[in-house]
Parts: sequence; structure tokens; C-alpha cells
Amino acid sequence: MTRMFLRRAVLAVLLMLAATALTFALVTAAPGNVAALIAERAAGAGADGAMIKRISHELGLDDPLPVRYFHWLGKTASGDFGTSLRTGKLMTAEFAERIPVTATLLTGGGALAFFMSLGLGLWGAVSNGGIVDRILHGVALVGASTPNFFVAAMLVIIFAVGLRWVPSFGVSGPASWVLPWLTIALFPASVLSRVIRVNLQDAMSRPFATTGFAKGLSRRDVLLREALPNIAIPFITTFGAQFTLMIIGAIVVERVFGLNGIGAFFIEAIRFRDFVGMQAVLTLFVIFFVSVNLLVDLIAMLADPRLRRLRRA
Amino acid sequence: MQIGKLPWAILAPAIIFVLIGVFAPLLMTHDTAHQDYGALLQGPSLSHWLGTDYLGRDMWSRIIGGARTSLVAMVFVLAAALFMGVVIGSLAGYIGGATELVLISAIDIMLALPSLIIALALIGVFSGENFAWISDYWKMILALTVAWWANYARMSRAVVVSELQQPYIEAARVMGASHLWIFTRHILPHVLGLVVVYASADAGALVLAIATLSFLGLGVAPPTPEWGQMLVDGMSYIEEYPSLVIIPGFALTLVVVSFNLMGEAFALQKVPRAVRGNFLRKRKAERAGEEIARASVEAHP
Repeated sequence: MTRMFLRRAVLAVLLMLAATALTFALVTAAPGNVAALIAERAAGAGADGAMIKRISHELGLDDPLPVRYFHWLGKTASGDFGTSLRTGKLMTAEFAERIPVTATLLTGGGALAFFMSLGLGLWGAVSNGGIVDRILHGVALVGASTPNFFVAAMLVIIFAVGLRWVPSFGVSGPASWVLPWLTIALFPASVLSRVIRVNLQDAMSRPFATTGFAKGLSRRDVLLREALPNIAIPFITTFGAQFTLMIIGAIVVERVFGLNGIGAFFIEAIRFRDFVGMQAVLTLFVIFFVSVNLLVDLIAMLADPRLRRLRRA
Repeated sequence: MQIGKLPWAILAPAIIFVLIGVFAPLLMTHDTAHQDYGALLQGPSLSHWLGTDYLGRDMWSRIIGGARTSLVAMVFVLAAALFMGVVIGSLAGYIGGATELVLISAIDIMLALPSLIIALALIGVFSGENFAWISDYWKMILALTVAWWANYARMSRAVVVSELQQPYIEAARVMGASHLWIFTRHILPHVLGLVVVYASADAGALVLAIATLSFLGLGVAPPTPEWGQMLVDGMSYIEEYPSLVIIPGFALTLVVVSFNLMGEAFALQKVPRAVRGNFLRKRKAERAGEEIARASVEAHP
């Protein structure tokens, strides 16, 4: 188990290195003259060739790319993400300010998606082909197809503009998180409820379910006691995938609701050609994606002994 | 392929969207960019079927124009991503060895990150002055293509590898067929059969991605009508004129639902290559039969 997990961890680190090297090569090589950009921001139109050259040398921009990557890697590993070209603040300070917002969004949305999908999937399975099952299927299809910015807009129109229950913009108390959480949770909840429903259906046709019925258990008991534990693995892996996808939801939701999170910063960085900010956020994203996947692997291994066996390739 | 036996009910909504996009100029009643300051934010009327927006532009014409914009962008991206994916995936599968390892690693890195994040990162990269000569529209197309090919490449490779193990390939080789002949005559049809169907079902996700990028202000720029961008424009008027948000959002949702419906139908087939109605109907009947049998067993354990 430990060896198996260590192997996955090593692979994850390799993936992180490869992905950051790729983003570094793209983001730092592509923009043209970053030094000119910085000089222009610092001195306005008065930036001359000597100043650009000095900045370029100071930042090590005249070194070959691999040298610059390892230099950057060393700095990043020691927690130095550079200074944002747009806000002029240290990226670590930006992160300290913004990560809590995005983290609250993702945790709340993730928890909501978890319980919503479990509830709806089970409800559908209990109904099994009945009217509730079919309605839930339709709801899941629409939920997985509606763009999250439209979901956000509709929620604002109904609950903030129409009923005036919650504020439509910014953060002011816990109530202002309700709409963002709902928005971000709808898509993963829709997809997950289908995954649960389909896998439950599959599990119910397995011999162990028949054995359950033979022992005299009711359909509900077989569903909850025999079938449900057996769908844990597909549920966990899909949940992990959907949880990483929620970053996209967070980007959109932060813009719609005016939340100052990482996603909003990323979009601003792209618009204002803040390449340092972009690189820092992308690194953060890569770390997030890879570690969530690793965590999912670990949980799956803990849950299912079959996955712990070391397969020799 | 028998035309009469296609699952029309499932294909119809997506086909209607394509037709609206193709015949958009005939359906539009006004110029999409024409601003009429005498008719700002009007409700539906005989001359403006869905009313006007905050610049007095006709909503109906803009919705139709938006369908065309989405369709054209989607077709560009899908075609380019398919081509790229099939070429890279087939090369990886056919050549094997070190080439395969390198290409697969590239595919895996791409697949480790969500496509839209890759697209956003690339649009960021393209915002540099080295790329100033490309318009925003083509930057979006390019970014989405690069973000989208990896999945098709993975599928193409899998098909190539499994086909290469078939005895008929060996037979062709023994008969002296060249690599190019074997690939184009025997393997490519299998690859395209699977990947094209998958891509058509994937179109919904792509329409969504285009709209999301435009919504974030990083895709289709005004005055070209685009649903995501219309929606974000309407957000400022959400309190008094929610229809400016609801109409484009509804259009977008309808299109994505149509494509996802198609995708779900294909997924249910398990044999994505056969869109042939006969086969499809038979499979469905079989499945329904199994379903009923199981339900009756479950009802009386």
C-alpha cells in the first residue's frame, strides 16, 4: 500500500514538474519583451533602451530558458512567487488575501454537490424507472447543460432581485455565499447524481443484491446496505474530477458575484498581461489539480483493498 | 446509412441549431450592429420580436446572429482539434516506441488540466505583444483547439493500437501493403468512426466553452453578436430588464441540452459507430426488455 502510494506520489510530482515547465516556457517565452512592459509601467513613456536592458538583466531575462526555469523553480519552491505586474503587490500577499475566498467557495460548493448528488441519486434509485426517476434524469441533463453564469444570473433574478432574500453582489455575511455555492454546485451535482444513479442500478443487478433480497431485506435496505457501499469508488473518483472542474465554476462565479478570489485575479491577470500573476496562479492550479487527484487515489486505495495491490507493468 | 432510420427525435434539436446558424442571414430582421437610440430597451413588438437591448439593437436578430457565431467558431475548433488529435494520436499508436511515449506524456499532461483552464492560459499567453497580429477571435479559436485535441488523440491512439492487433492488418502486410495504405484504408475509417461521433456529442461542451470565454471578455468581442457576451452585457440591467439576460441564456442552454442529449444517446449505444437506426432501435428494445425484467424481479424479490 505504502509503496503503491509512493509510486503515485512520484508520478504526481513528475506531472507537476512537467506541467509547470510547460506553462513556464509558454508564459515567459511568449509575451515578447516583459522588461519593456515593466519599464513602461515604471517610467511611463520615458523608458529608454538602457533601462530596459538593466531590468532585463536584473530579472535574469537574458539567461537561456532552462536556466530561468530552474531559477524560477527554486524561488517558487521557497515560497517566492514574484510580484504581480498589475497590482505591484507580492503574489504571496495576493494569495493570502484571495485563497480563503476561493477555498470557501470550493468547500461550500463541494459539500453541497456531495450531499445534493447523493440525495438525488438515491431518490432516483428508490423510484427506479418511476416518474421521480425520469424527472430527476431530466433535471440532471438540464443542470449539466446550463452555463454556470446563466445559473448565477437566474438565481440573482429570482432570489436577489425578485424575492430580495439574499444580496446579489459582494460579501456581506454568510447569506451572500448561498447563491455562489448553489451556482457552483449545480453542474457537479447533476453529473454526480447520474453517476450514482447508473452505478446503483448496475450494483442492484449483481448477485450480492440478489442475495440481499433472498435474505429477506427490503429494496431500501438492499439499496442502502449492499449497493451503496459498492459504488463508493466510482463516486469518489468522479467527485474528485468534478471538484477540480469546479475551479472553472469559481472563475465565473467570482466575476458574477464580485468576489475577490483567485479566479477573478486570474482573469484580470490575463486582461492586463500580468505574466507573473498568470504564472503564479497557473502553478497554484497545477498543484491543486495534481494533489486533489492524488488524494482521490489515496482515498480510493483506502476504501478498496483491490486497488492496493502492486501491479507489475 | 439509411436516412429514414436515424434517431431523428434526438438529432432534430441539434440539426435545427445548425440550420439556424447556416441560414441566419435569411432569418434576421435587422442589422445586428444597428443601434436605434429611438428604441432603447423595448419589449417585444411587431418590428422587434424579442424587443431591443440597451443600445436599441434588435434582440431577435442578435440571437440568430449569435447562433451563427457559435456554430462557425465551434466548427472551426472541432475540425482543427479533430485533425490535430487524429494525426497525433494515430502517429503515437502506429509508430510506437519512444515517439509514442513522448506523445502520450504530452497528451497526459494536457488531460491533467481542465480544457478551459488551458484555453484561458493560452489566451493569456497570446495577449503578449508577439501575438498582436492575431485578432481576439482567432486567438480564442487557436486556444480552444490546443485545449481540445488531447482527448481525440487519446481515443485515436487507443483505436489504432487495438486495430493493429487484428489479423487482417497482418494479412495486408503480408500481401505487401504499404504503411500509408494500411493506415488510410484499414485503420483511419475506424478511428474517424469513433472520434467524429464523440466530437459531435462534444459540441455542446465547446459551445459552452466559447460562451464562457466571451462572458469573461476573452472570446468573441463586440459588435459581433455572441450569447455569452450578450448575457454579460445584460447583467448591468438585470434588475429592470432581466429579459436581456434570460433570452441569450435560454438560447445557449437549449443548444447545449440538444447536443448533450445526443451525446447521452450515443453513450447509451456503447457502440458509438453505429448510428444506424435499425440497430439502435433493436438495442434500445433489448435494453428496455432487460430493464422491465429486472424491475419485475426487483418488485417481487
